[in-house]
Parts: sequence; structure tokens; C-alpha cells
Amino acid sequence: MGFYILSYVCIAVFIGATGCLIYRQITLPLHVRWEIYPVRHETTARVAYGGSYMEEVNWWNNEYKSSHINELKYMVPEILFLRGLWKENRSLWLVSFPFHFGMYLMIATFGLLLLHAVITLGGFPAFTAGNADEALLSGLIAATGWSGLIMGNIGSLGILYKRLTDREMRIYSSFADYFNILFIFIFFLAALITCLLGDPLLEGAKAYTFGLLTGGHSPHPYVPGQTVFGRTTIVLASLLVAYIPLTHMSHMYMKYFLYHKVKWDDAPNQRGGKIESAIMRNLDLKPTWQAKHVGADGQKSWHDIATSAPKEMK
Amino acid sequence: MKKSLKPSDIAKPSDCLCHIEQGELSPLPPPYEDFNQATITVLKPEKIKNIESSLDDTVAIGIPKPASPEEEEKLVSQFLSGLKKLFERDNNWTFLQPLMLSMEHCAKCQTCSAACPIYETSGRKEIYRPIFRSEVLRRIYKKYLKPGGRITAKLTGDIDLNWTTIARLAELSYRCTLCRRCATVCPIGVDNGLINHEIRKLFSQEMGIAPKEIHEKGSLQHLRVGSTTGMNSLAAKDSAEFIQEEMEEITGYKVEIPWDVEGADILLLHNAGEMLAWPENVGAFAIIFQAAGISWTLSSEAAGYDAVNYGLWYDDVQFSRVAVKHADIARRLKVKKIVIGECGHAHKALTVIADRLLTGDLNIPRESAMVTLENIVLGGKLQFDPSKNNFPVTLHDPCNIVRSMGIVEPQRRILRKIAPRFREMTPHGVENYCCGGGSGFAIMSGYNFGQWRNLVSSRRKFLQILNAFHDEPQDIPKYVCAPCSNCKGSIRDITDYYHAEERSGLHYGGLVELIINALAGMKKPMIRFGEKPSWEP
Ligand code: SF4
Ligand code: SF4
Repeated sequence: MGFYILSYVCIAVFIGATGCLIYRQITLPLHVRWEIYPVRHETTARVAYGGSYMEEVNWWNNEYKSSHINELKYMVPEILFLRGLWKENRSLWLVSFPFHFGMYLMIATFGLLLLHAVITLGGFPAFTAGNADEALLSGLIAATGWSGLIMGNIGSLGILYKRLTDREMRIYSSFADYFNILFIFIFFLAALITCLLGDPLLEGAKAYTFGLLTGGHSPHPYVPGQTVFGRTTIVLASLLVAYIPLTHMSHMYMKYFLYHKVKWDDAPNQRGGKIESAIMRNLDLKPTWQAKHVGADGQKSWHDIATSAPKEMK
Repeated sequence: MKKSLKPSDIAKPSDCLCHIEQGELSPLPPPYEDFNQATITVLKPEKIKNIESSLDDTVAIGIPKPASPEEEEKLVSQFLSGLKKLFERDNNWTFLQPLMLSMEHCAKCQTCSAACPIYETSGRKEIYRPIFRSEVLRRIYKKYLKPGGRITAKLTGDIDLNWTTIARLAELSYRCTLCRRCATVCPIGVDNGLINHEIRKLFSQEMGIAPKEIHEKGSLQHLRVGSTTGMNSLAAKDSAEFIQEEMEEITGYKVEIPWDVEGADILLLHNAGEMLAWPENVGAFAIIFQAAGISWTLSSEAAGYDAVNYGLWYDDVQFSRVAVKHADIARRLKVKKIVIGECGHAHKALTVIADRLLTGDLNIPRESAMVTLENIVLGGKLQFDPSKNNFPVTLHDPCNIVRSMGIVEPQRRILRKIAPRFREMTPHGVENYCCGGGSGFAIMSGYNFGQWRNLVSSRRKFLQILNAFHDEPQDIPKYVCAPCSNCKGSIRDITDYYHAEERSGLHYGGLVELIINALAGMKKPMIRFGEKPSWEP
């Protein structure tokens, strides 16, 4: 039960910390535009060369359009295959791609394990051990699990090696950076050994995931906590889940904000619109910058200051 | 092998943290090999004895040395108070979200390094690496402002905070042109240009530290006199009169530059530097608009005849004041739209950044001159004879118009129509390299900064220009079209510095000059290559 408690706590930390990160982002004041082109939700013709709607005469008379399809066309290969890194930093891609793809496959495996547990819990007669549907799902679990573990091991070891041997990366790497990658590598390694040493079909993982949904009950006699590697895997996987949102590794999902809320945020301000209201709220904020020319005193708002002359001139 | 500098080394006192040795800069091809051993001239000790100059071979700001340890301490605490404000909504709503995201998510993968023209051409000097200054700021922030930071610094990256750190960081924020090329390649979306921009703001808005060319003689003078050139309204009108006469000679008919026309369709905003340095640019706009029958006007009100907004580079408060002035002038003139002339940073300032500042009737529609001109040139109302532009032409993409605004094709469609020998640089469009004069560098030349710019920050552009014309004989005149005043300024400076007119036949100018040069019915060419007219009347 101790393992389950640890897993529950870690999942709670993940949800709480990620929630905080997202809450903080969505409650920040609207910032000024700082997009950078190509903005991937532009029309197909313009996205090809990085153009914007501002290339049109009297662009404000046209409807503001944003193409989700074009955005996806860019985002899917970017997220799955790290296309940007492939183009700009091929030697890092060689280790970063298996690392990230390995992670995705582990997440996918966990998703399939959950599905397996839910169906098993549902007690569907068609889904019993050995029948076709169950075999298909179990096969998928084994396939994603094994490929994730192999890629994850190669990738995390490769990144660790690169961080240690590449002069440019080493200068900027701190203890925490090495710790993070080592931590992930040991998780991948422990999980791989667990499977290699007698659980090729990830039966232990299935049982553990089932147990996660049932508070520790397992229909299966084998649970991974029975071996030292199995125990290590459970502990490290749980800790990793809790740890990711506390580090810069949260870029995996915070990238959404970096792209959608900054790089591609080209929404124009229209009179009477939502953006305008947010700007008006911002202009009521009261800065306290100390330089003489600013003329802030904590009482004057941005609006007052922007419409006044600098102090040096008076 | 020399030991590599680390971000924490910024705090260690020395006379010069980073020096570019002979032969370390990216090599230039023939006939410029004689510049390959050039280094930045050492500043005379008496010139720098009272200012902070221990970062590298040049000085951009010239911060006075503190007189006592107490003063140093006071400055350090001012810095920390400013840093804190960068993360507060009341003080920094303008950039809070982008800053937080960029500060928190860098994976230190170094993908951005190769994209930075300054880092690459400097011989990969560590202090110019895009993440060097970001990492310095990040470490200071985490260590000195985050709870428990002094303990976690041992794990996440340590740094000492003293006056040396701060003085060098201030100078270092003026070794990046804010071109944001690094940001386009970052797989995560981190923007080191933005972090640099915020460092500049902290120094200006909290400590009153900024290069005098952009603050005292720049935005302050702009608001006080009406223009960063120091030109008042009367002087601006005088120059326009002179320009009209010149244009009459070229066109053979009277060219009117209209002032303060209420209800005109367009308020045209020029960088006032054009009136002084490149008056033909202002004249060419007047001819095109007049010939196309457009209803337009200039404004003679203070700041209304100067489109620049230097605040964009270093200070949100100064930025807001100028943007509001520009919009208010347009509002009172009751124009239908503002068109921004050939000035890149003015484009981005008023069209994009000020878009989240101007509300109600100050939110006047704003358009790039590239777009307005395309509409005229391709609209069929004017007739052109492209054979008059029968010389090699290449196009420089101003970062602020192209990478920051996505205005890429209109200027190209114009060139394809009027310049038969137009060719692209490599790379171009949104992947362009900065002219080296971005973020104020083009107008900064105190101490030996101009030389640093020519040798280091503009070097990549110079190489690109030479490469664009590599298949042309050296002695024929070539035209670099740079539709931005500051870019034109840096290209002028590299052309002079490297004697590129004599050695490669390089000439430069704006887009409208090329348009007029090919316009049918002109009595004289607008473009001359030295004494030589570009076509015979
Ligand atoms: S800014 Fe981006 S590209 Fe540069 S080191 Fe950080 S994560 Fe990598
Ligand atoms: S913004 Fe431009 S100059 Fe500055 S670090 Fe990035 S690439 Fe280099």
C-alpha cells in the first residue's frame, strides 16, 4: 500500500503544481504583442514565407482569421519529432528525439494501461484474458512500453553524455541539470531491467495501474513491487511525475503558452473588444519605477504617466 | 587551450572580461582581407578612467564609476529593486508573461547560439552568446529574489552580485541588437532578445541608466523638441521646402509636401533622420503619393514629424509617451489611417507594440508603407520603365518589419516589378540577419562603439551583401535596398568603413528611390552612383 500512497501523493503534486503553473499563466495581465513570424496559424499562402495579415491594404477591415489546421500542421511534427531541433541542431536531435519520443511512448503506455484497467474493472465479458480484444490491447501496451523504454534509455543516456562532453552545454549546466537527466535515466533503466528480468508483457505495470484505480486491489498475482527493480521503477516513476512541474522540464506542456500566448499572439486590438478592456485595466495599474524621467509615485497610473511629459523636461 | 568563460565570471573583477584578438572575427573575402586582422581600437585610458569599461573592447553607455563602496552598495540594491519590479504586474504588465516564460523554461540546449550573428562573427565570444546574459539574470533572480535562493543557487547555478556584475550586465545589454533571430530557432520558444530588452528596461526605468544617444538625445529630446534629430517644427518645414525644390528638378513638375491637412486619408510618419540624411526618400514618397492622387499629409506638430520611438529598445514609459503622442496627433488631424514610412522600428512600435496600449479613438488604423506602396505600384495607375533600374539590386529585410511584423512580400512584389536584376540575400525574409544597427546601435557611436558595430555586429550583414553580388563584376554599381532608416545608417557605415563603394561598387538606398527611378516621365534619375546617374535622361 505504501507504493500506492506514494503514487497518489506524487500524482496530487503533479496536478497541484501544474494547476498552479497554468493558473498563474491565465491570470497574468494581457501583455503587449511580441509575436514573431512565421506565425503558424496564418493562411497557407502566408505561412509558407512567414507573412502576416498586416500585408493587406486596410487590414483592419478584414476579419481576423486564425487557421487551426495550419497550426496543427506545424505543431504535430514539432511536438512528436522535434522538427525545429532537427533543422537547427542535428547533433542534439540525435539524442533529444529518442529521449522525448521515449517519454511520449511512456505516457501513451500509461494511457493504455489505464484503459486496460478501466475495461477490466468494467468486467466486460468480451474482455477477458486471452481473448482477441484483450490480446490486442496487451500487445499494444507491450509494443509502446518496450519501444518507449528502449528509446528513453538511449535518449536519456545520450543527453547525459552530451551534457558532460559538449563544452558549450557543460558551461551552462548546473548540478540540477545533471541530476534531472540522471534521475530520468535511472528510471528508464530500472523499468527496462524490470521488464527484461521476467515481465516482458508488462503484467506488473497492468496490475499496478489497476491497483491505482482500486486502492491497491489487484486481480493479478504478480505486482512489480516484488522485485527491487520493480520497486525502484514505481518509486522513481512516481517521483518523476511530481518533479517535472517543479522544474524547467514543464516546458513539455508550458510550451503551449510560449507559443500561443507570445510567439503567435497576433490578435489585433479592436475598439470595444475584449483586448481593449484588458488594456484599460492595465493602464489603471500604478507603477513604482524609481528613475526620475518616469515620474512614478505609486499613485499615478500608467495612463497618467503615458500622457505626461518626462520629469527632466519640466 | 583558453579556459571558457562561465556566467559566474561576470562578477570577477578584471580590466577586460572579453577581448577580441587579431584574426578571431569571421574572415572577409577578397578584396577585404586587409580587414581580417583588424581589431577594435583600444580606448585611451584618460577617456575611460571614470567610467565602467571592463566588459570588452568597447563602451556603449559609459556608466560613471561609483565614488565609494557605499554608493556601489546603493546601486546594487537599486538593481535588485528594479529586478523585482520586472516580475510585478503593476510595474511590468507590458512584458510580464513573456518574461516569466522565457526565464523559466530554457533547457540550455544552445540551439540559439548559432543563430546569433554577433556571437558567431565575434569568433564565438562567450559573453555574446544569446543565453549568457539571460543566464546571468536568471541566476541573480533565483539567488537573490527567490525564497531560499542562496541555498538552491549551489544546485541550480551560482553567481555573485556586486557592482562589477551589474555594470557589466548593463553594458552587455547593449551588445545584442534585439534582432530575435535566436528566438525563432529556440525549440521551446524562449526569447533571449526579450530578456535582454527587459534588462535594458530595468536599468533605465529604475536606475536611469541608458546610452545618451537613445535616452537623453533620443526619447527625451524627441518629447521636448519634437524630434530625436533636434529639429523643431520650423526646421522640419524648411527641409521639406528644400526637398520640394530638389524633387521639382527630378520630376519637372511642382511637388507639394502637404502639412497638417485635416481629414486627409493618410498621415505619413517619416523617421525625421531621413529629412537630414536622405531627403530624397521623403521627396520620393511625395512624388509617388502625388502622382497616385492620394490624399495625405505630414504633421508639423512636435513628435508628429518624427516617427521614431526609441523607447521600444529600452524603456516602456518613454515608449508609451511617444506612441500616445503619435496616435493623438493622428486623432486630432482626423486622418483615416497612419502610414509608417521606411523606418523599421517605428513600424513595430506603432503598429504592433502600441496595439495593446492605444484604446478608443486613439486606436487609429496603422499601415506599413510597404503595403501602401505595393498597392500603388501594382495598382496600374502609375507607369514604370524597369529598364531604368538596370543594375543589380538586393533587398535587406529590417528585422522589425519582417521578423516582428510578417511584412515580407509587398516590398518583394514591388522589386520584382521595377528592378529586373533583383536577387535575394541568403538567408532572407523572416530568417534574415540584422543590419547590425538594430535596437539603437545605428545611432550609437560614442567611445569606439561605431567601430565595434562595423567590425562585429554588422559583419554578418556585410558578408551577406557581398555574397548576394558575388556573381557580378566588382566595378559595376550595385544597389542594396534597405527600407529602414536605421538599417540604411548601418549599411552606410559599413560601406564607408570597408571602402565598399570603391572596392565592390556598393551603393545603398531606400525602396521609394528605386520606385521613382523607374517611374515613367521623370526628367532625371533619382539614383546616382557617385557622380554617375543611374540612367541617362
Ligand atoms: S534559449 Fe532556447 S535554444 Fe537557447 S539554450 Fe535556451 S532552450 Fe536552447
Ligand atoms: S536577439 Fe539577435 S543579437 Fe540578440 S542574442 Fe538574439 S540573435 Fe543575438
